[in-house]
Amino acid sequence: MTEPIIEVRDLWHWYLRRTPLESVALEGASFELRPGEVVGIMGHTGSGKTTLVQHFNGLLRPHRGSVRVFGADLADPKVDPRPLRRRVGLVFQFPEQQLFDPTVGDDIAFGPRKLGLEHAEVRRRVQGAMAAVGLPFDAFKDRYTFGLSGGEMRRVALAGVLALEPEVLVLDEPTAGLDPRGRRQLLASLRALHDEHGTALVFVSHNMDEVAELVTRVDVLAGGKTVLSGTVREVFREDGRLRELGLGVPAATELAGALRSRGVPLRADVLTIDDAVEAMWTSSSSPAA
Amino acid sequence: MDEFEFSRGVTVGQYIPGTSFVHRLDARAKILGFIILIAAVLTTPSYIGNAICFVAVLALVQSSGLPIGYLMSGIRPILPILVVYTIFNFLFLGNYDPTGSAVLFHTPVNIGPWQFAFTVTDNSMRQTIQGIFRILDLILLGSLLTLTTPITALSKAIEGLLAPFRRIKVPGHEVAMIIAIAYRFMPTVAEELERLMKAQASRGADFGRPGRLQFIQRTRQLVPVTVPLFVSAFRRAEDLIVAMESRCYVGGAGRSAVYHDRFTSLEWISLAVALAFTIAIARTPFPW
Repeated sequence: MTEPIIEVRDLWHWYLRRTPLESVALEGASFELRPGEVVGIMGHTGSGKTTLVQHFNGLLRPHRGSVRVFGADLADPKVDPRPLRRRVGLVFQFPEQQLFDPTVGDDIAFGPRKLGLEHAEVRRRVQGAMAAVGLPFDAFKDRYTFGLSGGEMRRVALAGVLALEPEVLVLDEPTAGLDPRGRRQLLASLRALHDEHGTALVFVSHNMDEVAELVTRVDVLAGGKTVLSGTVREVFREDGRLRELGLGVPAATELAGALRSRGVPLRADVLTIDDAVEAMWTSSSSPAA
Repeated sequence: MDEFEFSRGVTVGQYIPGTSFVHRLDARAKILGFIILIAAVLTTPSYIGNAICFVAVLALVQSSGLPIGYLMSGIRPILPILVVYTIFNFLFLGNYDPTGSAVLFHTPVNIGPWQFAFTVTDNSMRQTIQGIFRILDLILLGSLLTLTTPITALSKAIEGLLAPFRRIKVPGHEVAMIIAIAYRFMPTVAEELERLMKAQASRGADFGRPGRLQFIQRTRQLVPVTVPLFVSAFRRAEDLIVAMESRCYVGGAGRSAVYHDRFTSLEWISLAVALAFTIAIARTPFPW
């Protein structure tokens, strides 16, 4: 088994600590990511998902517990988190709100330029990042950023992080507020990124269908604690527990469960539409026991 | 200390619930009382009066149950200005002392083309030291007012206090609404700023210090934050306009309140005490 690149143990974090407005956001969360993995973090609003992922590139420091990223211990105040931010790309929720440059190409080039790269290398990275998110370079590089559609702006913002060529990409609710086509495109881009470049992905979401489709392992957060952790199949088998936490299961799993309770013999770990189709074929072709 | 936690520094616009008498006081009485106390703080010319005012303000803060450290944290952002201001006052104010008070210290300085003098007089020293306490008093009183009063009560109180001036066309309701909205959005903007700095830091921005005096670099570093901050502020403003218009908001004309609060003995006594305190401070001939 390879060493984890992100390892979080018993992490606690308070906002506005030592003021009258103090509130606890994490009370003992844990997390692990190994190279090339695709891991989902699920949880209800306010469960601490966003706070947790902001520890992955040192935006927040652990108040208690340990966070190790690429071997650096972030609990140590002497550790400079800035080099980590190039290796762990973090895409915030509604990232289109962070765009600032009037032209698309310049906005995406912001990160690479900050790294002090040569002009040609900056251009190569911007081209690569735009290709990865499905924006044609020549058609879009000189477009006016604030005149793009919401979905296009989101892809520009994602490209801005990808241009840093991070080894780990952390996405906080990347599909929130997108239409179904925007969602599909974004998920396809992410899958391609993982398959072609081996980028490890951390995918924060409360959309069960997306999680089931994209990730291999899931952590479930509730009240600042990691309450469930395992492969997608293991976690979605706990449908009662998930419903208790206000989460639920993917639509295909739900349907398979309903069919099973009416006596249709289907296997228990149906997660996606494809799974469901396959399960239906195998169950109808096999002699009903 | 967390690198990006700005909301910590924004004590203005927050409200900390409580049950102390400062919390329970009608907001109109609170504003009037604080104006009266500020008069005492600003007018007393003596060290003793100054100290008494400071103690009184601390006692008031103590009685509100708010942690004094939290109130003082509002000072941190302006601390450098305060320090520079104090040093300059101390060294130079004596040069322009029209009162002719005793000179305690005088040194002419000649460095090349610059010729000036450091002068400290009895009066300039007094103003410098009192200046520090006055600023502390004002910040504590101001924070105490806003931290113990919900913003709706504050704006209603401002509206109420401005109502008598409606005859001379002072738009009391509008003024109150503007102040309320400004206060309401200060913590929001601080949070937004925090989020944007984190987001830009995540894609390569570096808000570290490239030397304190490199203003142009510092300013350029902030462009990726200020532009989106303004974009979102305008968007918020537009959303707010739509929300207010869809609730048929047309300004103050013809609006009435559900609750009409009357001053109770608590308010009258508090105001009387504040007034008596101010008059006593102003009229007592302190020895120094």
